[in-house]
Amino acid sequence: MRQTNSIIKTQKRLLAVSVSIAFLFCALFVRLIVLQLALGGDLTRRAAEQWYRDLPLSAPRGGIYARGGEMLAGNEKAYDVYVRPNAVTEKERAAETIADVLDMSVSSAEEMLSRRVGEVTLARRVSPETAEKLEAAELAGIYCVASHKRVYPYGSMLSKVIGFTNIDGDGQNGIEGYYDEYLSGTDGYVYADADIAGRETDGETHYVPAIAGCDLTLTVDAEIQSYAESAVMAAHSEWQAKSCSAIVMDVDTGGIAALASYPSYDLNDVPRNDAELLNLLSKNALITDVYEPGSTFKIFTTAAALECGVTGDGSRYYCGGSMSVDGQRIRCWRTAGHGSQDLAEGVKNSCNCVFMSLALSLGVERFYDKIEQFGFGKKTNVDFFGESGGIVMDESVVKTVDLARIGFGQAIAVTPLQLVTAVCAAVNGGTLYEPYFLAEARSPSGDVIYRREPKAVAKPITESTSAKLRELLVGVVEDGGGTKAQVEGIKIGGKTGTAQKYENGAVASGKYVSSFVGFAPADDPEYAVLFIVDEPSGYTYYGSLTAAPYAGRIFSRIADGEGWTRAEEEEKTYIRMPDVVGSDMAEAVKALEDAGLNVETVGSGVAASTVPAAGETVAEGDVVLVRGRDE
Amino acid sequence: MNAKSVESSDRNERLRSIDVPLTVATALMLAFGVVMVYSASSYSAEVNYGNEYFFMTKQIVGCVGGAASMTLFALLDYRKLKKARWFILGVGVLLLALVLIPGVGVENYGARRWLNLGVTTLQSSEVAKVCFVVFAAAYMSDRQKKMTTVRGWLPLTAVGLGMCVLIMLEPSMSVTICLALVMLTMLVMGGMRLLHMLFVLLPLVAAAVVLVLVEPYRLSRLFAFLDPWSSPLGEGYQLLQSYYALGSGGLFGVGLFNSRQKYLYLPFAESDFIFSVIGEELGLIGCAAVMAGYCFIVFRLISIARRAADRFGCYIAGGMAALVGIQVLINIAVVSGCIPPTGIPLPLISSGSSALVVFCGGIGICQSVRLRSHASVRALL
Repeated sequence: MRQTNSIIKTQKRLLAVSVSIAFLFCALFVRLIVLQLALGGDLTRRAAEQWYRDLPLSAPRGGIYARGGEMLAGNEKAYDVYVRPNAVTEKERAAETIADVLDMSVSSAEEMLSRRVGEVTLARRVSPETAEKLEAAELAGIYCVASHKRVYPYGSMLSKVIGFTNIDGDGQNGIEGYYDEYLSGTDGYVYADADIAGRETDGETHYVPAIAGCDLTLTVDAEIQSYAESAVMAAHSEWQAKSCSAIVMDVDTGGIAALASYPSYDLNDVPRNDAELLNLLSKNALITDVYEPGSTFKIFTTAAALECGVTGDGSRYYCGGSMSVDGQRIRCWRTAGHGSQDLAEGVKNSCNCVFMSLALSLGVERFYDKIEQFGFGKKTNVDFFGESGGIVMDESVVKTVDLARIGFGQAIAVTPLQLVTAVCAAVNGGTLYEPYFLAEARSPSGDVIYRREPKAVAKPITESTSAKLRELLVGVVEDGGGTKAQVEGIKIGGKTGTAQKYENGAVASGKYVSSFVGFAPADDPEYAVLFIVDEPSGYTYYGSLTAAPYAGRIFSRIADGEGWTRAEEEEKTYIRMPDVVGSDMAEAVKALEDAGLNVETVGSGVAASTVPAAGETVAEGDVVLVRGRDE
Repeated sequence: MNAKSVESSDRNERLRSIDVPLTVATALMLAFGVVMVYSASSYSAEVNYGNEYFFMTKQIVGCVGGAASMTLFALLDYRKLKKARWFILGVGVLLLALVLIPGVGVENYGARRWLNLGVTTLQSSEVAKVCFVVFAAAYMSDRQKKMTTVRGWLPLTAVGLGMCVLIMLEPSMSVTICLALVMLTMLVMGGMRLLHMLFVLLPLVAAAVVLVLVEPYRLSRLFAFLDPWSSPLGEGYQLLQSYYALGSGGLFGVGLFNSRQKYLYLPFAESDFIFSVIGEELGLIGCAAVMAGYCFIVFRLISIARRAADRFGCYIAGGMAALVGIQVLINIAVVSGCIPPTGIPLPLISSGSSALVVFCGGIGICQSVRLRSHASVRALL
């Protein structure tokens, strides 16, 4: 009986074991239902992420073109080289080949091949020849992926405007940066079935094509730009200046036809490793930095005075070499004074006293109205990063002395771009346009997706004031301080400026910003040119001597390029440079002026030397320099 | 029933037929295993050995060996094993000890589990598990009355735990756990009191805790199984890859040979994680079929145990049923993330020839039990 009980017990226990095992099987089956059915979709999606090797198909970046279709920035075929270390089979040969082809040391190549990561980038944007060499070595685990390298066919031309991209092809600054969204396309991908090491398996390959970026056409005219480039380069070398720059603007639209600056750099060889140098070279100071405009600002004082009717052809002004404002004596640049002048003579002579008088008779409110309408003290909204708005004293704190000084271009800071934009408004009939670079954007298929229309933002003066202003400024170039900007047969208007630089709040001795701003053809202006020589070295620092000739040179070449009809050549009278060395400065100046020359002076006392030297041929009305020496 | 009729029935039934359904099920499992091993390993074999049939060929050789050992043990009178119980135990322990000797044991994946036999390698613990089942069956059938007492089961438990310690030294946590559970199941079959079971279980749980504390990597593996997403490239990697395989299989699977996970994403796809590949290629339906197949085999083995001529045969068949069932359960539980990941193959299907020979041999022993089960004895039940 006991035996039977025991057997029955064993049978029961065997049954219990069966039931337990069956139950556990059922429990696991429920778990599988959860995994395979309930979570199946989500798990499949997650799994799919690892099943494909996605090679990027880099989208070609849009090109940047000049107005005439010249390519300023484009793409060149290049390759990126990757390695998947765990797919490399012949490590030693791979390391040697990489070291040889990519010009690195064998040890660093080995280190890269040994990294415990999925993928290592060996080199970016290598040439097709290099990629071919690597492909020819047939190394497992090393991949060359087609990509694009940014190229700039014109090298350093317009470099500060175009800007550059980083190695990934993302726009960093300039147009490349500002219009990155237009330029950068959308990368595509190749999805290939792959094993865990990235080796492609026999599965399918899916393509998602890349979408190219948009092409941009700038307002910049490649020819005018090249004139400006050669002018700034020549000026830089002649005056040993810190930098020389020029802006050429379409007077009737605000479109920037050229913007050149030297020293510059080659966009194909960006000094990426020297951040300080790169920052210095790539910075577009014409837009981002301010300077004290000096006499060129007198254009706007005149414009405002004419517009508000506080001056006219009948007005006369007296300059005794200085003027007392609120008890403070402010000197004219010509210590001897200009005597009695009408407005036109005052503008020609650039007599500070005349402009102080104009500013004072305008008063703060009216003058400030016009300053604001000309766009000073606020950004122009040019399509460029980092624009500065300039510095204009707050209206509420302006004292009479400040007002007088603003009248001749001191106590105010503007960007070169602001200045030339305002000059365009002053001479184009009175309309202030927003300056811009981008004329047009086209999709990869060639459809125009954006076209810039000139945008008028203010009307500071009327057409008749503008006409009067043009006439006055033509006088400056014909027989005033701007004569060196003259171009044969082309009527040019303009104004010179020589401003002392400030460093740490004090006048920096011997440091000047010399400039000339002009427009042509004067009767119906097409282009305005601002030429700036920053810190010319030596005694020749006047804008009339340093900047005006180069502005003239640019105008001359534009005239040729655009086929402007030149007027009948006027007979120029040439005279011999009188010998004034040794005579008193005032007498020397008088003697030269009597000979029909425009005179700039440096120093005081006794005339020590002249440029040009005595006896040389000089055109009547030309600007000459007398250097004085204290006895 | 008179003596003569007993005599004649004994003569007629002395050699009953083998269990045909069990044989068919075993053969089907083996054949299915060959196909799945090929499917799961063809790519990795091609990459690692330059021969996509590398693992499949070994599996076929293993199947041949398995068929041979199954036939051999079916023909052999299982009662002879009872006499050789100490020798069998000795072989099991010796194998486990040998594998720990550097130079003799082959180290792989940080564990010393294989014996190098020149032409092939032998996984000691696979053999040792069956050795233990045979020894335990012999021991319990000798002392069936004492098995309810502590003095009865304690020596057997000591032997089992001793073997567990040896396996743990390899280390192979999963086989240890498998063996411990088989031992417990056999003790239950042998009549151990359920209260006494607690005395065995508590030290086992304590031992598990100690193991985790001694080797903290086990702890992190423990957490990995609870939340594999927290370390998708680390501890949770294996399990996630298994999930991906099962999940993308869905109800009907992606089709035989169409697994994506086998492209080296799933580690040990041809052995410990072959069930994931089955789930991926054949879906929930395929998983259900495979599990049903195992259940069928286990129940046939249990039924052999219930009809066995003697207690030794009963325990040996019950032990084999427990061994197959528990190992399948652990494997699927690992693959489906129910317990911490631990490497244990799926019997009869996973790649590994020593395991094939051993499991087939075990089933052969059970066939021998069935062949020699006695109508008169069955009448007693």
